[in-house]
Amino acid sequence: MKSISLYRDNGTWLCRVHPFTKLMYIAAAIIVPLLLGTLWAYAVAIALDIALLISGKSLKRARALIIFSFTIIATIFIIKGLFDADNLTPLFSIGSVVFYREGMMKALRTGCVIINMLLSFSILVLTTKPEDIADELERHGFSPRLSYVISSVFSIIPQMMGTMDTITDAQRSRGMETEGSLIKRMKAFIPLITPVVTSSLINTRERAIALEVRGFGGKGKRSYLKEWEKHRGDKPMTIILALIIVSAAVWRVATWLI
Amino acid sequence: MAYIEIKNLKYRYPKTKDLALNGISLSIEKGSFTGIIGKNGSGKSTLASAIIGLVPQFYKGAYGGSVIVGGQDAATTPVSELSKSVGLVFQNPFNQLSGAKDRVYDEVCFGMQNFSIPPEEMRKRADSTLERLGIYEYRDRNPFDLSGGQMQRVAIASILVLQPDVLILDEPTSQLDPAGSEEVFSVVEDLRKSGITIIMIEQKIDKIASYSDSIILLDKGEVVASGTPSEVLSSTMLESHGVKAPAVTRIAKALSFRKPDSSYPVTVSEAKELMDGRLSFKEVQSTPSPKGNEVFRLENISFGYTPGHDVISDLNLSFDNRPTAIIGQNGAGKTTLAKLMKGLLKPGKGRILFKGKDTAEATVASLAFSIGYVFQNPDDQIFKPKVIDEVMFGPLNIGMNQKTAREKAMAALEMVRLGDKAERNPYDLDLHERKMVALSSVIAMAPDAIILDEPTIAQDDEGKAMIREIIGKLSEQGMLVVSILHDMDLVADSFERVIVMAGGKVLEDGNAREVFAASESLEKAGLELPHITALGKALGAESILLDENEFLESVVRV
Ligand SMILES: Nc1ncnc2c1ncn2[C@@H]1O[C@H](COP(=O)(O)OP(=O)(O)O)[C@@H](O)[C@H]1O
Ligand SMILES: [Mg+2]
Repeated sequence: MKSISLYRDNGTWLCRVHPFTKLMYIAAAIIVPLLLGTLWAYAVAIALDIALLISGKSLKRARALIIFSFTIIATIFIIKGLFDADNLTPLFSIGSVVFYREGMMKALRTGCVIINMLLSFSILVLTTKPEDIADELERHGFSPRLSYVISSVFSIIPQMMGTMDTITDAQRSRGMETEGSLIKRMKAFIPLITPVVTSSLINTRERAIALEVRGFGGKGKRSYLKEWEKHRGDKPMTIILALIIVSAAVWRVATWLI
Repeated sequence: MAYIEIKNLKYRYPKTKDLALNGISLSIEKGSFTGIIGKNGSGKSTLASAIIGLVPQFYKGAYGGSVIVGGQDAATTPVSELSKSVGLVFQNPFNQLSGAKDRVYDEVCFGMQNFSIPPEEMRKRADSTLERLGIYEYRDRNPFDLSGGQMQRVAIASILVLQPDVLILDEPTSQLDPAGSEEVFSVVEDLRKSGITIIMIEQKIDKIASYSDSIILLDKGEVVASGTPSEVLSSTMLESHGVKAPAVTRIAKALSFRKPDSSYPVTVSEAKELMDGRLSFKEVQSTPSPKGNEVFRLENISFGYTPGHDVISDLNLSFDNRPTAIIGQNGAGKTTLAKLMKGLLKPGKGRILFKGKDTAEATVASLAFSIGYVFQNPDDQIFKPKVIDEVMFGPLNIGMNQKTAREKAMAALEMVRLGDKAERNPYDLDLHERKMVALSSVIAMAPDAIILDEPTIAQDDEGKAMIREIIGKLSEQGMLVVSILHDMDLVADSFERVIVMAGGKVLEDGNAREVFAASESLEKAGLELPHITALGKALGAESILLDENEFLESVVRV
């Protein structure tokens, strides 16, 4: 089945790291450079992200994400470089178009933030099963309903998209044009979208009942089929990452006070 | 006291006028197999929901009387608590998957986690249940990738691992193909022998007759008959409550073969005991129906969804005006063939001619004028808040004016007996009615050919009789009716031509008598005989007997 989850188990160590350790890593990778404020910190974080992805054999799959983000970042460079309000010092020019230093620096910073965020998140997303994240969250006190939502969207959304094709066929069969001019396609919108929404409401209602009769709504204690096998580095790593965040915060506060 | 005690149960859904359950009293003992029958809307599912507490806890509404299950009051004990005692499996296998698990094994364990069952115990129960239902080999598969029959067995397994005292099955096979239904019925048969208490709601009367210790007949929310299968199914008032007796019982009645207790037999084995050697059959001559004008011609068609993987290869077929049934298992290529004819799919090789014109050049929407297609799931097309507007959508699209469109739509609605519901919101109608809305929305476009994909799913005996009537009327008007079907009884008595498909190929093509005589092809295609035909065969008829009349005309008591 098509799943929109990006997770693949490629057997590397990164897949066996506890989701919480990865979450802590994301927190560190995002917060620390923010607190330190220098571009160098971003460079280090991005380098780390890439190193982790390489060692987890997942860099290739992150490529699509990176390419996608580059188009956004390029736009930011152009807009900031040309039009930022603080622009003063010309940096270079292409023909008669002048790019300014101040804007370019801001764009560089924003670009770093975006890339760093994307990469660190992709470490989690590419190497962790959504169901495992959900299970672990639930086991640590989050509501079972939240955990259910996290793990079910990944299979239910593709199912919904699958029905979209059937619906298009059904309406075309009744003489509705779905191709052609913009007006034709706009007219087709309601007949196409209404059945998606209503049939998924019907399905959701039925599914809610099916969950109910399997004891899902119960308030009692729950048990778990899978016990997460702790990777030996999980605990120390999480603590170290937390310490790094704390020390960055302390450093920040200290520099303010002085 | 019996395990389930229901006393004077009355219930009305919110915002409705009529009582869905009207004074039901019954008791069900542990270890029994109870069949619940009745036409659509008679309250069967509502009764099941009341036993597990969904009525009134989930559906709200007005509730009176009492339902006691294993000493617990079903109205007030939370459903999640009651579900330890009662398991419920319902029609749609797809909607019973939690959607949160991507392995069959985890899906089956989902419920046990809610009941805080320790992991070792979970594994033990999951392994043995998967084994028992014959789905152990699928344990690592994604449940969404399974066939309907396999999915439904996963759903049953997911309930059985909770070890309920009572298992309620609400029409578990109504949305499955014949092979899928057989898979589920063989599981039910096995469970029945194991002695677990089962309540089964089912339209397939022959099955219910052979499984049940007792049968309850519902109509308009009331218990109108209850007793042993023979008692209930022999009763003369069965048909007046919209349920057709099993083929066996109808024949025995017509030939007045009574059991010693003066009731009629309800299973083939009972009938054999009574009638074997006491009947003599005349040979029935087949009258080949004449070919009409050619409507469709498919020339050397090949098609595959993925390159190099042809679902249909090198198919040559032509359709004339005779009503034609296409039968075969899921995956045999029936729907693919139908979609090719409708132009929804384009053949990789070959061409399709409709009335001599190549359909490759036309868009689907422009073909709508001459070829109608009724999809399986009505919810994939319904979008108007009023039935009449929904039915007028097609006619207006193909250029009819308001007045003609309204007339055609009303006529089509009358044909499916929904004329009085024209102003209602389709979503307030039951599934079987919504299916009829979808059917009439295509009939109203007055196409030259109409293709029906599984029109009998979710229909009861009355609905099936109505579809039989509609097929007759449409072909009388000169329309070509092509239908994909799983209901062999309907195939036998309503279609002049039957095409058997398996693996993208046509195995048999002829009239019903010829096709049902081809036992080898039927077996290859995984198909069963119509009930009457099977009964005739069991009682020694040489010819293929297609319906009740034919059976009775060819037989004499000796
Ligand atoms: N969720 C609901 N809301 C309102 N009315 C309902 C609902 N479900 C069923 N009904 C109505 O209750 C009656 C009994 O329906 P049901 O129990 O589904 O019958 P059966 O299972 O025998 O087909 C019908 O008139 C039906 O229209
Ligand atoms: Mg029902």
